[in-house]
Amino acid sequence: MKLKLKIKDKEYEVEILEEDADQTKIKVGEKEFSFGREEKEKIAVAQTILPKRNFSKKEIRAPVAGTVSKIFVKEGEFIKKNQKILILSAMKMENEIISENDSRVKEIEVKENQQVYADDILLILE
Amino acid sequence: MKILNLKELPSTNEKAKALSRKKIAPWTVISAEKQTAGYGKEKVFWFSPQGGLYFSIVLPKSKIEDLQTLTILAAFIVAKTIKENFNLEPFIKLPNDVWINGKKVCGILTESVIGASTGSAPTLSRVERVGKEVKSSVIGIGLNTNIDKFPKELEKTATSLKIELGKEVDNEKILKEIIQGLKKQLATISD
Repeated sequence: MKLKLKIKDKEYEVEILEEDADQTKIKVGEKEFSFGREEKEKIAVAQTILPKRNFSKKEIRAPVAGTVSKIFVKEGEFIKKNQKILILSAMKMENEIISENDSRVKEIEVKENQQVYADDILLILE
Repeated sequence: MKILNLKELPSTNEKAKALSRKKIAPWTVISAEKQTAGYGKEKVFWFSPQGGLYFSIVLPKSKIEDLQTLTILAAFIVAKTIKENFNLEPFIKLPNDVWINGKKVCGILTESVIGASTGSAPTLSRVERVGKEVKSSVIGIGLNTNIDKFPKELEKTATSLKIELGKEVDNEKILKEIIQGLKKQLATISD
């Protein structure tokens, strides 16, 4: 079985020469590589861990100190791009925090009228 | 400096915010002869009849700290304009209202939109902080210039330049002086 693998801009031709319970033999370009049981396990572990890691979870922190004057979303809610999330009032400046992606509100860490410092976590999106 | 003069708007800040989303040139000014739904902080109603000066400025992309400083300095610029042109003694009620003889003559409200992105680029860090970069911001100024009379519930707390001076003032001249002042201040604090 032949596969094409693209890493960054370079393409690699990978050929699986042999595959059984104990050993996998592959050919990348002109080089051959053999993997025994141990290596195979490592590969399997890596494959199961990667998809589980949540790459896009984000803590949304207060850009400045102020008061959370209004929260427009609820925990668990799916929100659309450009949807208003909350208003953070600082002095007489009102900062509207909006979503830049379609996402989901995982946790809300603040309440309306709560005072926050710069860098405090407001909510977590995913 | 581009000034859009409109007869009437619900709110100049709302109009400016809508335009700033469409990537309108910074320092575009939206001015209305009257507002039907003018508001201040936390959407508190702002009395905006014909005669007053109501305008909002689409600000250039700036750091949030600079915008905060600019908002506070705006009150100083308005007070300075009043003092230099009319020989009145304005009082700055921090953060940014201007009073004359114990009554409010001007209110200022800056509104910014900040994006919270969950991002799509894979990264090894599990959590990322939202940037401090502001997507758009507007500063709105309501100045009671040529207002003859306030409703009963505002009479004791609000005044106008016309009431204080006993004569009309030039709205356009005041508008231009305030904008020039803000431009100068933002250039200074952004350096």
